[in-house]
Amino acid sequence: MRTGLARFARNRLALAGAAVLLGLVALVALTPLLYPGDPFRLVGPALQPPGGPFLLGTDTLGRDVGAEIAYGARTSLIIGLSATGAAILFGTLIGGLAGYYRGSVEVALMRITEFFQTIPAFVLAILIVAILSPSLFSEVVAIVAVSWPGIARLVRGEFVALGSREFVLACDGLGAGDARIVFRHMLPNCTAAIIAVGTLLIGTAILIEAGLAFLGLGDPNVMSWGLIISSGRAVLRSAWWICTFPGLAILLTVLAINLVGDGLNEVLNPRLRER
Amino acid sequence: MRLARFLGYRLLLAIPVVLGIVVLNFFLIHLAPGDAASVLAGESGAASPEYMEQLRHKFGLDQPLATQFGVYLLNMLHLDLGYSFRNDSPVGSLIVDRLWPTGLLMLTAFAAALLIGTLLGLVAATGRNSWRDAVISLVSLVAYATPGFWLGLMMIVVFAIRLGWLPTSGYDTVGADNEGWDEVWDVGRHLVMPAVALALFYLAVYARVMRASVLEQVGMDYVTTARAKGQTEARVMTGHVLRNALLPVVTIAGVQAGNLIGGSIVVETVFGWPGVGTLAFNALQSRDLNLLLGIFFVSACLVVVINLAVDLVYVCLDPRLEL
Amino acid sequence: MSRTSDVTNLSRRTVLALPLGLAAAASGARAAEPKRGGTMVMIVHPEPSTLAHYAVSAGNIPPIATQVYEGLCTYDWDQNPQPNLAKSWEVEPDGKTITFKLQDGVTFHNGKPFTSADVQYSFMEILKKYNPIAPVMLAELVAVDTPDPMTAILRLANPAPYLMKALSGRDLPILCRSVFEGTDVLQNPSANKPIGTGPFKFTSWERGQFVRLDRNETYWKPGLPYLNRIVARFIPDAATRSAAMEAGEAHFAGYSAVNYADLARMKTNPILDLTTKGYEMTPAQSVLELNGRHPQLQKKEVRQAIAYAIDRKVILKDVMFGYGLPATGPLSRKFKTAGLYTDDVRQYDVPDRLDIANKLLDEAGAPRGADGTRFALHLEVNSFGEQWLRQAEYLKQALAGVGIAVTLRSEDTATWLRRVYTNYDYDLNEPFLSQGVDPVYGLNKQFLTSQIRKGVTFVNDTFYSNPEVDRMLGEGARELDAEKRAALYKKVQQVLAEDSPMIWLIDVQYVSVSNRRLKDHTTGPLGTQQAFERAWMDK
Repeated sequence: MRTGLARFARNRLALAGAAVLLGLVALVALTPLLYPGDPFRLVGPALQPPGGPFLLGTDTLGRDVGAEIAYGARTSLIIGLSATGAAILFGTLIGGLAGYYRGSVEVALMRITEFFQTIPAFVLAILIVAILSPSLFSEVVAIVAVSWPGIARLVRGEFVALGSREFVLACDGLGAGDARIVFRHMLPNCTAAIIAVGTLLIGTAILIEAGLAFLGLGDPNVMSWGLIISSGRAVLRSAWWICTFPGLAILLTVLAINLVGDGLNEVLNPRLRER
Repeated sequence: MRLARFLGYRLLLAIPVVLGIVVLNFFLIHLAPGDAASVLAGESGAASPEYMEQLRHKFGLDQPLATQFGVYLLNMLHLDLGYSFRNDSPVGSLIVDRLWPTGLLMLTAFAAALLIGTLLGLVAATGRNSWRDAVISLVSLVAYATPGFWLGLMMIVVFAIRLGWLPTSGYDTVGADNEGWDEVWDVGRHLVMPAVALALFYLAVYARVMRASVLEQVGMDYVTTARAKGQTEARVMTGHVLRNALLPVVTIAGVQAGNLIGGSIVVETVFGWPGVGTLAFNALQSRDLNLLLGIFFVSACLVVVINLAVDLVYVCLDPRLEL
Repeated sequence: MSRTSDVTNLSRRTVLALPLGLAAAASGARAAEPKRGGTMVMIVHPEPSTLAHYAVSAGNIPPIATQVYEGLCTYDWDQNPQPNLAKSWEVEPDGKTITFKLQDGVTFHNGKPFTSADVQYSFMEILKKYNPIAPVMLAELVAVDTPDPMTAILRLANPAPYLMKALSGRDLPILCRSVFEGTDVLQNPSANKPIGTGPFKFTSWERGQFVRLDRNETYWKPGLPYLNRIVARFIPDAATRSAAMEAGEAHFAGYSAVNYADLARMKTNPILDLTTKGYEMTPAQSVLELNGRHPQLQKKEVRQAIAYAIDRKVILKDVMFGYGLPATGPLSRKFKTAGLYTDDVRQYDVPDRLDIANKLLDEAGAPRGADGTRFALHLEVNSFGEQWLRQAEYLKQALAGVGIAVTLRSEDTATWLRRVYTNYDYDLNEPFLSQGVDPVYGLNKQFLTSQIRKGVTFVNDTFYSNPEVDRMLGEGARELDAEKRAALYKKVQQVLAEDSPMIWLIDVQYVSVSNRRLKDHTTGPLGTQQAFERAWMDK
């Protein structure tokens, strides 16, 4: 573990990413102090350019763009983490079952997985939000629906590969139960791959949420970066700051997450480490 | 001959898959509340109940779901995608009309992403940990993290409005009625920004995958062997590494095939590109279920075909695999 | 003849006085000589789903359809009917018979001559049966007699003073009988290939891109139209629409196709021109509807308190970017010209409005709780555009100010309409209501008890039911005497403003943006919803 940390620490890009993420977490933690109250409150005149009393300007209704971005960060993190967590849980379950039991179970589960991949992902996400009506919850469900198949395929692949390895065969021969084999031997061996892919998923989830909110499918009661961009899109030409800052926030966050993901990948993925 | 048999076999296998997709989609779509008649009536202001009944009857919405499903399946067996009552037009022709612009945008973006992405990935891998590697890695990371619609908006402001180099939106200059090369040039100019907005993301993916994949291959025994045999570095790369390193890229590209149609919705919206993505979005918003099902069906077929193509490319790249 | 209506008098006079087309020339008069030729690109947003103007009355169809379909009349700036397909007309003193003499030598785009049989068929067989709105205007019409090919006589069961306002190609288009006769009207192939008598012929529709209309070389008005071609272009993104106007790629964007937010910048652009003209006969209001079955909202004091709590000027400034006027009551100020609007009603925009609102809520038995909240409501966000979410966000803040906690719900159009108009599962709703050419359209559908109709969109969903209002609206529809009619509607507005079944927010004002090269595009009160027969492009 220590060598892992050291290895991670040597990766300057990954460190930079981690620093940005830490900053983001700090921002989220300090938001109630920095911007007390509801970010939807109309606190000043509309369309104030950045610089003045409002550091990042105000939007069309006279809300503080800085406050909106700070509260939006919380939403993005919540959505990114919960959607990724759920997708990993569900994808691992399906992929694990398919990869462990093989046979008809595998065929059936993999067909279902493929079905989800034949519907254009973004259309599926929109369809789900339409069925459930826009809310934080439905956005998470939609993101999970489009991202779990990737995890399922990955885990199935890993399980199939591990299933033929000597130590698993040996366990099986020794009469160890299914649960023991899966949780003690197989799952730990693919955590690295799952974590590496999962980190990237957080970034993707944030991007999907922004896209949904941009199309007017976000939760109107919760501030999010996509919502700010979609509200600023109409005045893009007259008030560039409303779209630009949350866009940069998304870019920076997703970039940082991916840098950290890369760093983790290098540390955790044994195949890469050999070189 | 073997190829033909293989293709036939795979296509035969695909039929139940596609059919299953049609069935599942049909019921999934019907979970969405509200119907096409109420949307149409809503857009018309107040409509009498008789008018709404008329619409529902015309759309077949007054039939039980099972009957609607039966009718739909029967139509599908005749390869008839049905009629979009909202658009007063057959679904098939609506989709075909959009398929060309979508195909053009997708293939351009996809081909550019694939070509440039793999090239960048290769350059980065061969100069591992050099400044080239760092720059390419950083650029692809930034490209990967940029929301396409946001990039599109920013590009319109800069290149279409401030600099005036490119048209803001659309497929070609309306009313110009260009012909021949003029039209090609015109469409090309309109294509640049949406293609870039769309391609950057994929480009980043391929560059990253390619880099990792080349690095993995370089460490393999056969490369060491080839080098030991005194083959030049260029020959080792093109003859061995490149072939094998492309496999994961092809796999990823195949997986993304399903997103071809949907992935462009936001970019199409921003640039007013008359593609299938916006068609699907509008169809969903207006509960034009026949149209939406048709798009899902076409998309599913596309995925099947592309998966097949990926398998064929695999065979070409990896002589060890057989049909 | 002493009891004939003003409308009738005016129309007779103008018929005699004005030769063809002079009305338009007089209003949009410009020194420059019109030039022939050229293509006008106009932005229509959103893209219509169909061009079946006779069966669907969505607002984005007429800018295209009225180039092809014409009506019996057009209207001058005072909103008086002017000859078009009808050469002249006469209204009998009892108001129940209207005789139209038709224009000779008019042919449809398919070469068929235009006759009274087409008028009869359009009104009786198509518009009355298949159009969602026309049945209101034609409610009293029982038959159209056709004594000869150039005479059509409308027979009414009761007087219908509003009918003379609704004869434009937008409201009651004239269709070609032989195209429809013996076919299934709702699946007629001319739905998306319209065939009319208008100055432009339909040529093609590239879905997702544009509709192309070409000059009708055999148009019956000699020398018109000036333009060779009109292209209606569809651009889904608001910022991109603005950019297309600024780059000179499009020449006209009516019906607020350009986002209000961009208008201030457009105003300073030397190649562009802005006008609010051409919407005089397109009154509309944005409103906040209150579900009259909600335990709190059924109290008049609570409804009035909400009306006091909202600062319409904020909505006007920050949501509508200054275009429009704060609404005072159930009729838009656009009805001033017809003499039917009054602001002599209960005033909600007063300096101490917040104190009044809080007092009313206290009195209504809705005291503030420990956290300052009195009660909670859901607000359904209008799905027809981004600006309505902005308005909803403001309303939420405004109502929080008087202790009403609002949660927004933004669903897509189908879900929203189903929830509000079929399931009645809503507290607050913020629709945008067109008011038609006469109060008989807008007021009747919103406030008549008989208009509480489950499953029908944009009718009485507040459950407002007042026998006095029912009676007055019934009388108003038939009253031929202009003064008596105005008095009836004044009283209606006063009662409604007092009862406050909904909150009237903004009298909407549409804006047209045009390229300065495009001349004479707005020649009457129907603006973009009538033919661009006199529009021309300066080279």
